[in-house]
Amino acid sequence: MKTTFKGRAVLPGRLDGRALVTHRGFNTYASFFTSIHEPTGAAVCADSGNPDLFGRNLAGRILCLPRTAGSTSSGAVWLRLAKWDVTPLAMLFSRPIDPLAAGGLVVADLWAGRRIVTVDQLGEDFLNTVQNGDHIAVHADGTVQILNVCG
Amino acid sequence: MHLTDEEKAILNGGQGQMMQRVMATIVTYGEALEAERLVGITGSGHFVIAHAIPGIAPSMEMLDDLIAAGLQTAYPFTVDPAAPLDVDNWRLTESQTAKLRRMYREQALYDRKLKALGCRGPDGYTCTPYLPEVGNTPRRGDILAWSESACVVFANAVLGARTNRNGAIIDLLCNIAGKVPLSGFLTDEGRRATWCLRIKTRARPLPQLLGAAIGRLVLADVPYIVGLDRFLGGGIDADTRDYLHELGAAAAAAGAVGLFHVENVTPEAVDAGPAIMDRDCQTAVIDEDTLADLTASYPVLWHDAAAAPAKCFLGCPHLSRNQLQKWSAAIENALQRHGRRRLAVHTTICAAPPVLQAFAKSRAWRRLIDAGVRFSPACAMQLFDNDLSRDDAVITNSTKLRTYTHARFFPDDDIADIVVTGRLRHAP
Repeated sequence: MKTTFKGRAVLPGRLDGRALVTHRGFNTYASFFTSIHEPTGAAVCADSGNPDLFGRNLAGRILCLPRTAGSTSSGAVWLRLAKWDVTPLAMLFSRPIDPLAAGGLVVADLWAGRRIVTVDQLGEDFLNTVQNGDHIAVHADGTVQILNVCG
Repeated sequence: MHLTDEEKAILNGGQGQMMQRVMATIVTYGEALEAERLVGITGSGHFVIAHAIPGIAPSMEMLDDLIAAGLQTAYPFTVDPAAPLDVDNWRLTESQTAKLRRMYREQALYDRKLKALGCRGPDGYTCTPYLPEVGNTPRRGDILAWSESACVVFANAVLGARTNRNGAIIDLLCNIAGKVPLSGFLTDEGRRATWCLRIKTRARPLPQLLGAAIGRLVLADVPYIVGLDRFLGGGIDADTRDYLHELGAAAAAAGAVGLFHVENVTPEAVDAGPAIMDRDCQTAVIDEDTLADLTASYPVLWHDAAAAPAKCFLGCPHLSRNQLQKWSAAIENALQRHGRRRLAVHTTICAAPPVLQAFAKSRAWRRLIDAGVRFSPACAMQLFDNDLSRDDAVITNSTKLRTYTHARFFPDDDIADIVVTGRLRHAP
């Protein structure tokens, strides 16, 4: 099974972490709706319309997704999460990054000093292969390795 | 990305440190979107950042830094509807009012900062900036950097202006620089349809339902809609404008639709016809069954699913004067039908401040006030922030409100009967 995928480094960086996976458009605003009001040290997904992630803490995880969706308010949501240090470690997109996600992640990077490593165009194979809990290595050139595949 | 000498000079600090940071953000944004270059913005902005709630608004420090550097948007901008601090219009409890005022304690300060950055002022707080009473109406072909999904899709589809679905903050920064990356809906290629949707309903579908069905089907893609002109006629009059405004808002909320074309109706579809579709575009049919399946899929998220409806919020997105007149007639007819003089359900109807000011001069406005209707220039959705209205049994005709809150959706015809009788016997 293929375990190495090459994408485009949008906000480059090198890190390891555990994967959380959604196969549907990630609604940033609905997901972080409850995390932006009070600092709790977590970012528990509040989007009841996304059974892949609902109720899971997204902070410190590597989020694997096709693209984002939902309200354009989400641009400011990333800045808030960045200032509270409860963002995902990395965002790995199977498709080209959408403007909503790009704007929010770039603003968090340049105005809050919080680099959420971002890679896009990893392809549908990547999203079909990676599973929740997989240990992932992200490289600065946009290469993503699934190091140990969970059951 | 190719930058002009002027852009390079700004990036090198030629217009100060803060403008350098603004330009660096836009250039990085453009590189993320694989834009070849930046292009000049040619019209006023519209932004989603009306509320001072932390996490939704830019931080005060950020705004202070921009203002201190003397920066303003290239054109005066409008923003989304005001916070619902007109508490009487929403029949809030003392506890809800106190919580709301705590949440929005910095709103007045925030509004002053927006004004300093180029906001048009109180009349420009609406999600229908393009109505003639408000006056932020882009021209066809205008290059914009708008946010607010309902406004983006209307500007693109109905007015033929060009804007991507920008997020909060990046919208403001692009409009300060007067530049936006050339990508997505700003390009001819990005505006081509990748879906062909055939509408095969017997009657004109409700725009809020049709929009939701389209959003669920195509997500962020561009649909070319065939068969809707049977009901709308050709071109765009006030009725069609209002219809497409609701359809677009619903499609943007249920999916992430930023542009659609309606055969023989919307400007680019009128000009190009089916040639605007990709050859290998996906196809789908939407009929009565599609819409019935959609409403059947909506869960009841009320705290008490068997509760009687307590409140009804209409006007998400904000209504036009035309729509206000139609709701007036529908509610008055329902009052007559049921032999009542006042509504049984607290009902609040939202529209842009200048639209409400004009409507307040009409007899219909007086009759609805007497029947118990309240009018507000604010945004109903903000009443659900932080579980403010968790225990309220709210009904709405809005797909957007249904998508983001626990408000329960009903078709327009049922809403009028429910608010008059207080009973849900018309529930789908």
